Amino acid sequence: MKHLLLMTLFAIATGKSYAQNHSLEFSINSVNSAKGKLYVQLFKGEDNFKKGAPHAAQIMPASKGNTLLVFSNLTPGEYAVRFFHDENNDGKMSTNLFGIPSEGYGFSNNAQPVMAPPSYQDSKFTITADTKVTQNSSDVIY
Amino acid sequence: MNRRQMLKSLALCGGVAATGLPKLVKAKSKTVSAVNYKALFEKALKDNPKLIGYSGVEHDLMSENLVIEGRLPMDLRGHFYRNGPARLERGEIRYQHLFEGDGMVHDFTIAKGKIHHRGKFIQTNKYKAEQAAEEFLFSGPDTRLQNSLAITKADDINVANTSILPVGGDLWALWEAGSATRLDRSSLNYRGQVKLGEQTAAGSSLAGMPFSAHPKVMPEGDIWNFGYNSTGHIIIYHLNSQGRLLNFKVVNTQFTGGMLHDFLVTQNHVLLILPSIKQNGGNQGYFAQLGFAPEQPLEVLVLDKTHMAVQRRYELDPAFVFHFGNAWEDNQGNIRMDASLYPHLDVLHKLSDLMAGELPKEETNAQPTLITLYKNGKVDTQAFKIVSEFPRVLPQTTGHKNQHLYFLSSGQNAVWHDTICQLNVDNGKLNQFQFGDDFIVEEHVPFSPSGKENKAYLIGTALHVPTKRSCLNVFDANALQNGPVCRAWLPYYLPLGFHGHFQQA
Repeated sequence: MKHLLLMTLFAIATGKSYAQNHSLEFSINSVNSAKGKLYVQLFKGEDNFKKGAPHAAQIMPASKGNTLLVFSNLTPGEYAVRFFHDENNDGKMSTNLFGIPSEGYGFSNNAQPVMAPPSYQDSKFTITADTKVTQNSSDVIY
Repeated sequence: MNRRQMLKSLALCGGVAATGLPKLVKAKSKTVSAVNYKALFEKALKDNPKLIGYSGVEHDLMSENLVIEGRLPMDLRGHFYRNGPARLERGEIRYQHLFEGDGMVHDFTIAKGKIHHRGKFIQTNKYKAEQAAEEFLFSGPDTRLQNSLAITKADDINVANTSILPVGGDLWALWEAGSATRLDRSSLNYRGQVKLGEQTAAGSSLAGMPFSAHPKVMPEGDIWNFGYNSTGHIIIYHLNSQGRLLNFKVVNTQFTGGMLHDFLVTQNHVLLILPSIKQNGGNQGYFAQLGFAPEQPLEVLVLDKTHMAVQRRYELDPAFVFHFGNAWEDNQGNIRMDASLYPHLDVLHKLSDLMAGELPKEETNAQPTLITLYKNGKVDTQAFKIVSEFPRVLPQTTGHKNQHLYFLSSGQNAVWHDTICQLNVDNGKLNQFQFGDDFIVEEHVPFSPSGKENKAYLIGTALHVPTKRSCLNVFDANALQNGPVCRAWLPYYLPLGFHGHFQQA
């Protein structure tokens, strides 16, 4: 009881909930070179995914093969990830003149674009209250 | 992180929507369609042997020293290349539209009085993967597999099956929705997709951009072409004779009809001719959902070659068109052009019906039409009451005045064509040769060793149905009515294909 009280007081003091003590390990697989950087966004919920309002984001140097990223302090709920491999290091995903990506990209669940980017339904996964570390992965689509 | 940039960039993944790629649904080795195209076609073939040209083949072909009838002209030396869809079935699945088949390039080598033939499947990544798996792995524009592999860009299903063009030391096999496919000219081996922006300021901005199957090669060697996006954006390309990019521009034409197959150039202008078609959407195949738009005029946009900007627009009566022969400017600055005009879009759907062995129930043919686009905005058209398709002109006249227009013709509702024609566009005089009911005639290409229209040949292939053999035919272009001066027989038939090119040795 005393322990619970302390935890509650700590949560109030830090403005955080113990429910945030979850993390996502996301593996970006089949990166084809160490050129440039990986830009990765994590979205919470469909509205934010559709609005393009990320919950968290990371940029890291690209390395050939698989790269593991960790997003910490997450609360249970639905999430989706999208990323691109900025090989030419210009800070944006390059496309051809008709808007088709010319650099690698991907979505959680290894969801594939078909005439359009994968939907939130195809990309979403759930972080549950009883799972501390959730894992997900995707190959880069070049 | 530059979040705004990243969001904007990722949002561009939506550009995939504009490629005309199919939506996929799941469960392997079967199509979504309840109709068994393979069974229907096999049944129809038993009743109509002419359909053999749509059977497809499964292996590369080779035959040396073809049996020659007549006399091979001494000045006829070089390569006659052709391209067309040749792999139409795997296992129990038959493609639902002829445009979906994997391309096979043909090389008729004509040298030292002999003719040799090679037909080789173009080893695209798609073809190689499906060959190894012994089944179709990717959906096509119309044929939806229940468990297709992902298609993230048009080149994933680039079948390189429509035309062929020698460029530099290579051959480019062309398919209008994706980039050009580079082949080794002597081995016909696949050498990868052509990357037009490479080593130019365009960089990756041209990666995977469509490069139509109807580039125009000016007499001095420059290559012009376009690529269409169903959003209405059209890219115009200008290349040198070696295929190096000189200039390009994207023009927003707002033409959302969903398909643009051919275009024209004059000495000073590029002509984009936008047919009266529309996308109906829905769950049908990509070609299946395209429809005629009788309320929509056929529109011609005239762009200057230097700035690639629209200078003039013309509206013609509603029509559909696949192919044009030529365009040129007269001394008054008016533009003369021709087109094989259809009164509707049924021909596109006929190419799907044929895959199920169904013959057209109604007239689906085009007519050769001469069009004058006057400088003052007026338009004049002159249609000839004869069936016309696969129009061609002597290569040396591209963009300049041509006297003769060559095309295939036939009676109404033929399975394909049975006649070749030469139309004198100055006086309307028509010369023709009818092969007879046993033949199905493919595109015939004019060429002249001297570059003169008055001393030219016409070369092309035809399928002889009773013997199930194809033949290569050479005509004196100015005496078609006399029949072929030379005919070389293959010991096998070739799948009916699309376009060819004669390359003089």
